[in-house]
Amino acid sequence: MRQMTLALLVLAATATGALARSKAEQTMPANEATVAMVKAIEMRFDDPMHVTAITLTGPDGDVSIERETGIDAVTEFRALPPAGLPDGAYTVDWRGLSSDGHPMQGTFSFEIAD
Amino acid sequence: MEGLAPIDGWVIAAIIAGAMGYGAALLAMGGPLFAVVFPAANADVRQLARKVAVIAALVGLAVLALRFGIRAARISGMGLPGAVDPMMLGFVWDSPLGAAAIWRGSGELLVVALLIRGIVGLSAGLIGALLIAVSYTFVGHSLGDPRWLLASLLTLHLLAAGFWIGALLSLRHAVGQPDGARLLHRFGNVASFTVALLVVVGLIFAWLMTGSLSNLLSTAYGWTLLAKLGVVSGLMALAALNKWRFVPALASGAPAAVPHLRRSIQIEAGAVLLILLATATLTSITTPPVNL
Repeated sequence: MRQMTLALLVLAATATGALARSKAEQTMPANEATVAMVKAIEMRFDDPMHVTAITLTGPDGDVSIERETGIDAVTEFRALPPAGLPDGAYTVDWRGLSSDGHPMQGTFSFEIAD
Repeated sequence: MEGLAPIDGWVIAAIIAGAMGYGAALLAMGGPLFAVVFPAANADVRQLARKVAVIAALVGLAVLALRFGIRAARISGMGLPGAVDPMMLGFVWDSPLGAAAIWRGSGELLVVALLIRGIVGLSAGLIGALLIAVSYTFVGHSLGDPRWLLASLLTLHLLAAGFWIGALLSLRHAVGQPDGARLLHRFGNVASFTVALLVVVGLIFAWLMTGSLSNLLSTAYGWTLLAKLGVVSGLMALAALNKWRFVPALASGAPAAVPHLRRSIQIEAGAVLLILLATATLTSITTPPVNL
């Protein structure tokens, strides 16, 4: 048991941000991109993904975003941030359920600058 | 390393709950299988096998509910409030885990019916064991292609594992009994086939998930699988030691055979625990190389 805990801790320490059970998804804006403005936040998945939660965090904290995609499983997800986001660093965190029932999560960041 | 999901407290909880769920399901399946394969075993031993299966089935039902909460918490990103959020629980219910839960829950309830003596209870228990095994084919890696082959391999793997693991406690109890040596000898003979089946179908499944030897060494799935196989090898060695050394010694009346065999079965149970944790890790946070 103690060895297993240790093994889990080692796994935890070496875990990367890599997304499990799906090839790295494509996002708009792209991860670590610098953009002038953001009209929409988009994510593409290889297999239908049920996106259950998504948050956008900006320089002033959480930003409420409006889901354009409903609650069905999709390969293309789209949500709209409010217009005129201030300059700064932003992070998108999402959670979901893949088609085989596995909980999924991912994160990507971008920067808004003129 | 490729194919490893981010890990947090909820993921660790999911792994532990997953391993508990496997343990409960295997013990629940093992009871009716034991009763049908060894109808002539000592009444005391059969009674223990039934009792263990019924308790395991009830624990399994509780763990199933717990796993729903943990999964809802994980997909909500909200932590504990997400575990009881009706909408998140609804998403989990609509996912493959919902269908699996109906089959597994029904199977575990049928195993509880082992409390009914005679053919009715035993038949219910056997159907229950089959439903529990099949429930695991509705979710996770076995949903890949070729679907029917993967589902059949997994069902056989689980039934064989349930037969073995479910028998351990009853066998340990039988060690000190007057006709215990005969039961242990018979178990050894049956297990020669079922354990071989367990390992062979497991290896075929693993090969279909892995695809190549190099994938074994370059992915989280591969390393976790190797860790599992390492413990499995130790368990096999122990089982062989029991079959060819301790059980014959018990049959010939050697006094040291009783404590040796009991300790050996206890170590087997410990190894099984590690295997269940490795399996839950495999199915919770790693991606099979063929899906990468």
